[in-house]
Amino acid sequence: MDPVLAEIYRTVFDAAPYVIAAYGLLWVGLGGYVFFVLHRLSGVEREIAVLEESVARRS
Amino acid sequence: MGVKTDSPKEVRPEVADKKVLGLSKDSWIYTFLGLGFVLTTLDFLMAFLVSPLVLGAKVSGVRVIGGAIVQNQLLFSQKIFYFHVPVALGSFLVFFFTAFYGVRFLMTKDKIYDTKAKIATEVTLLFVILTLITGDLWTRFEWGQWWVWEPRLTTYFIMTLLVIAYFVLRNSIEDEERRATYAAVFGIVAFLDAPISFAITRMIPSSVHPVVLRSGGGLLPTQLIPFLSGLFGMLMIAWVIYQVRLKEEVLRERVEAVKAALEDDLTADAPTFTSFAKPETPGQS
Amino acid sequence: MSAAAVQQRRAGRGLSWRQFKAILRKDIVMELRTKEMVTSMGIYAMLTLVIYQVALSQSGAAFDPRRIAAGLLWLAFVFTSMLGLNRSFVHEKDQGCLEALLLSPVDRPVIFLAKAIGNLLFLLIVEIIMIPFFSFLFLQQGSYQGEFWMIPLSLLGGSIGIAGVGTMLATMSVNTKGKDFVLAVLFIPLMYPLLLACVSATTAGVLGGDGHIQQFWTGMAAIGAYDAIMIAAAWALYEFILGA
Repeated sequence: MDPVLAEIYRTVFDAAPYVIAAYGLLWVGLGGYVFFVLHRLSGVEREIAVLEESVARRS
Repeated sequence: MGVKTDSPKEVRPEVADKKVLGLSKDSWIYTFLGLGFVLTTLDFLMAFLVSPLVLGAKVSGVRVIGGAIVQNQLLFSQKIFYFHVPVALGSFLVFFFTAFYGVRFLMTKDKIYDTKAKIATEVTLLFVILTLITGDLWTRFEWGQWWVWEPRLTTYFIMTLLVIAYFVLRNSIEDEERRATYAAVFGIVAFLDAPISFAITRMIPSSVHPVVLRSGGGLLPTQLIPFLSGLFGMLMIAWVIYQVRLKEEVLRERVEAVKAALEDDLTADAPTFTSFAKPETPGQS
Repeated sequence: MSAAAVQQRRAGRGLSWRQFKAILRKDIVMELRTKEMVTSMGIYAMLTLVIYQVALSQSGAAFDPRRIAAGLLWLAFVFTSMLGLNRSFVHEKDQGCLEALLLSPVDRPVIFLAKAIGNLLFLLIVEIIMIPFFSFLFLQQGSYQGEFWMIPLSLLGGSIGIAGVGTMLATMSVNTKGKDFVLAVLFIPLMYPLLLACVSATTAGVLGGDGHIQQFWTGMAAIGAYDAIMIAAAWALYEFILGA
C-alpha cells in the first residue's frame, strides 16, 4: 500500500474495533433496557388481568 | 405528615385496549420510541457515512482522497463523539430530574414525586453506565489503557457511585415517608456534587495524567446534525423509559392494593376491589 | 438537654445563639466525661498508621513517603471522621436525645450547626494529635521544604466540609438499616472532590517546590467553593431530614 495513504489511515483501522464496540454496546444497552422495561410493564398488566378474572369470578 | 397518594383517575389501568408488550398499540409512547430510534439511527448512519473524519497530525505527503486534498492523519476515534457526548449530556439532564422531583417531593410530600425521582435516577444510572463504557473504550484506544483518571471519566465514575448510593440508601430504609425524604435530600445533594466534582477534577492538577482539553471549536453542519439527532433521539428514549416505568410503578401499586383488598375480602366485601372491577368513569355514574 | 429546655423559656434576641451553645455544650460536656469520641477516633487513626506501615513496607529505601504523606493523612482522617460521625449520632439516637431535641422548639438549622461544630471540634482534636505522630513515624528522613502554615489551613478547610456534609449524612444513615455502611456509601463519593482538593493543597504545604503557592490557593479555592455550596445545601435540607 502507498506509504502516505497508510500513514493517513493508520489510526482508522486501530480505532475501528473500539469505536464500533462502543456503538454496539450503547445500542444493546439502550435497546435492551427499553425492551426490559416494556417487558416488565406487560408483566404487571398480565397480573392485573389475572386479578380481574378472579374478581369477576367472585362477584 | 402523611404521604398523599395521587388521585385514582391517573392510576386506572387501561385494561380494555389491545396490547403490544404491555402498551396499547396506538400509544403515543410508541410514537416517541419509534422517533427516538429513528433519530439515533440517523445519528449512527450520518456519523459513519456523512460526517467527515477529523484531521489529526500531519503526514509526510499529500494524497487526494475522494476529490479532497488530505495531508493529515484521519482520526476515526473521534466518531465516538456522536454517541458518547449525547449520552453523557443526556445522563446529566436526566439526573437533573432526580433533583427536581426531589425538590418537588420536599415541597409537596406527594408520593408520586418520589416515584418520579426514583425512576429518573434509574434512567440516570443506565445513561451514566453507557457513558462510562463508551468513554472507556475511547480511552483504551487513545491512551492504550483501560482506565485513566481523567476528569470526565472520573466525574462519571463518581456519578455512578452516587447513583448507586442513592439506591443503597433507598433499600436500607423501611419507612416509606422517611425513605422518600432521605432519597430526595440525597438526590439533590448528589446532583450538586456532580458538577463540583467535574470542576474540581479539572482544576486540581494531577501528577499521574495530564488533563486533556478538547477544543470545542465550531461544528460543521454534517457534524452538528448527527450530534443533535443523537441527543434528541436519546432523550426521547430516556423519556419513553421514564414513562413506561412510571406507568408500571403506578400499576404495581394498584395491583398491591387490589391484592390486599382481595385478601381482606375472604371475610368481608372490600369496597376497593369492587370499584376496581368496574371502574367508574367520570360522567358515567 | 435540660439546659436547652431552660433556655427556650427565655424569649428574645440571641435565643438561637443560646440554643446553639446549649447543644454544643451538651456534646462537649458528654465528651469530657466519657472521652469516648476522641479516644475511639484517635485509636482508630493510630491503627490506620499501622496499616500504612504494612502498605509501605515493600516500597524500598528510595521511596519518599513525603510525596504521598498528604494523601495518607487525608485517608486516615476520612475513615476516622466516618467513625466519629457515626458514633456521634448513634449516641444521640440510643439515648433518645435526638427525639428530645426535636420535641423542643429549637430551630432545625441551629441543631445542624451545633452538631456540625461539635463534630468539627472532635475531628480537629484528632487531627492535631495525629499530624505530629504521623510525621514522627513516617517523615523522619529528609528535611522539610514546604511551608508549614499551609497545612493547618487546608486541614481546617477540609474538616469543615467533612463535618458539615458528614453531619447531614450521618443524621440520615443513623436511621437506616445499614448505619455505618450506608454512611460510607453516601459519604465517600460525595466527598471525592473535596478530598482531591484537600490532598492537593496539603501536598503543596508538605512538599513546597515549583508553583506550590499557586497549587495551594487553587486547592483552597476549590475547598472553599465546595464547603460553601455543600454546607449551604446541607443546612437548607437538614430540616427535612429531621422532620422525616
